Amino acid sequence: MFKVVVGHSNDPDSAEAVAEILEQCLESLDGETPQAGILFAACDFDHSLILKQIKQQFPDLELVGGTSSGEISSRLGFQQDSLTLMLFCSDEIEITAGIGDRASEDPRAAAKGAIATAQSKTSREMTLCLSFIDGLQLGSSKIVKAIGEELDGKIPVFGGVTADDLKFEQTCQFYQQEVYTDAIAVLIFSGNLLFSAGIGNGWHSLSKPKIATKAENNILYEIDGKPALEFYQYYLNDSAPSLKYPLAVFGDNSDKFYLRVPNAYDARFNSVQFFGDIPQGATVQIMDTDAQGILNSSQASISHALQNYPGTKPAAAIFFSCITRSSILGTKAAAEYQAIASCLKPACPGIGFYTYGEIAPLEKGGAAFLHHETAISLILGTK
Amino acid sequence: MESNLDYKQQLKQLKKENRILAKKLQRSQERQIQLEETNQKKESLLKRVIVDLEESRNILEQRTIELSETLAQLEATQKQLIESEKMAALGNLVAGVAHEINTPVGNSVTAASTLAQETTSFNTAVTAGQLKRSALNNYLDLATEASEIILSNLQRAGELIQSFKQVAVDRTSLEKRTFALKPYLSEILITLEPQLKKTPHKVTVTGDEDIAIQSYPGALAQIITNLITNSIAHAYPNNEPGQIQLDVRQQPQKIVIQYQDDGCGIPENHLNSIFEPFFTTNREGGGSGLGLHIVYNLVAQKLQGTIEVTSQPNLGTTFAIALPLLNKDR
Repeated sequence: MFKVVVGHSNDPDSAEAVAEILEQCLESLDGETPQAGILFAACDFDHSLILKQIKQQFPDLELVGGTSSGEISSRLGFQQDSLTLMLFCSDEIEITAGIGDRASEDPRAAAKGAIATAQSKTSREMTLCLSFIDGLQLGSSKIVKAIGEELDGKIPVFGGVTADDLKFEQTCQFYQQEVYTDAIAVLIFSGNLLFSAGIGNGWHSLSKPKIATKAENNILYEIDGKPALEFYQYYLNDSAPSLKYPLAVFGDNSDKFYLRVPNAYDARFNSVQFFGDIPQGATVQIMDTDAQGILNSSQASISHALQNYPGTKPAAAIFFSCITRSSILGTKAAAEYQAIASCLKPACPGIGFYTYGEIAPLEKGGAAFLHHETAISLILGTK
Repeated sequence: MESNLDYKQQLKQLKKENRILAKKLQRSQERQIQLEETNQKKESLLKRVIVDLEESRNILEQRTIELSETLAQLEATQKQLIESEKMAALGNLVAGVAHEINTPVGNSVTAASTLAQETTSFNTAVTAGQLKRSALNNYLDLATEASEIILSNLQRAGELIQSFKQVAVDRTSLEKRTFALKPYLSEILITLEPQLKKTPHKVTVTGDEDIAIQSYPGALAQIITNLITNSIAHAYPNNEPGQIQLDVRQQPQKIVIQYQDDGCGIPENHLNSIFEPFFTTNREGGGSGLGLHIVYNLVAQKLQGTIEVTSQPNLGTTFAIALPLLNKDR
């Protein structure tokens, strides 16, 4: 048995909203006791209160989650300033949560702490790891890398970087009834879980491909031996680099790429700063997209996940999409989830959030990897 | 009791909706502020773009002026080049003429100096009273011969100079007027009658009587005369009777005079050279090699037309002369 239910409230009042989602979930659970849950909440809520209420209702619940810049669910579709909860019940699979804090000081130790906590509560073999991390303190790529290394690259990692509506002030991670910052929250699935995933970004090239000749962590100084800022300005008509023009980073001799989003620049050094690290020597290219490109790629990600699902009856779907995608879509932001939902059976419960970075292996069986401006669809089930 | 519960439920729902609306309003206000900022940024960006565009336009205008100046300079240089080319062509012509004239003049000088020497000796003999009849006869024979040589050679030189004058086409001496083409061609043939009478050839003119042209009749007469003279001299080496035909046709924007003989034709390897000055296959027979060159210059320069030649061995030669309907003064 693997039962998944979803609650979603757009009531801005924390107490009312949590009461509403609990009511919805209890009704759907129909007497079953949930084993674990994922909570996504807009940043204005009283998160502590919400977590306490949930734990009060389900004292043994293994709960993780984080703050988001837009929440999606099969119940209310795309919402902002809302609260959404997914609960899992199963007698075949064990789902356990863990937390590791002070990730910016020692990402590896934080990852180790989080995974060890979750692992200590199960005797079964790990199948899948979901993680929700803070990207504001230390570059998210380092944290994702630490999680991947801690799992020895053997367990697929999916998830997202928690967000705060593009304020970049503070994002929170949830573990049980505690609210954390600068932490790694993980939810580990152990046992016979079936799952599949799809990645879509919908970006196309704007510039010529060039080599990142000088880069240090998340700061890119030179492209083809010339100042990185000038390279951007040349293609953007002298405008500053922005979220809407990410950099594609290509793997060695591969046409597969991931995206890095510029978040600042320094005119003194003619450098551009990104949300994730840029490997020196990699081939890079400025990218561009439009609303249709975004919608098509979201649909492509869910279609790919569905095609590759090893079973026949998906029990739940989880999405991670980048905040910049919803900001490019603007007033049509709800269309992204509609595009995804149109591929799913209406009865399939789904949940997701808009992130500051999406976590998924670059290729099937690959190590944990940080994406930007990308849509990731994950399908779970036991049959 | 039940309706009270219903009312409470409705009130709760309304309160929730009120909260949602308030939150949406708050978000909408935040967005409005963001949008205003974005608009301001875009406005200033637009202003910058406009300023940039104006700068580009100024630069473009400056470039256009520079380009126009360069173009004018180029045109002037081109004209100079053409003039130089003409001068070079004239230089070649003069050199050719000098070469041609050199022979008869040289012959004349030799004959004249011999005559002068003999006259001096004759004078000395007369003064000394030692003149013999035989010496007198000798001197008279020599003087007669020398005079003949000098006369014929100077005549030859005179002919060459006349040709040279024609080559140099005096552009102002000939008048321009509008005239009916076919009748005018017939008139030319009448003037050529004395020459044609001596040959078995027949010349005919065909085409529309009404075609008129504004051009230089003198130049046209020279052209036709030269072509006929050329055919008489070269096309019929065995003096077999020939048919020479002149045909006049009007085409859009131009008039074509087709001159055709049914003679021996021009060998292919000569076709490219026939319009060059001093090209002749009849130097011994007194050909100057200027006839067709004059034709070419008159057609191209004076009449602003074109001339093309086609020829087939033993079938004849055709010259197609295309002339503009209106000849602009140059």
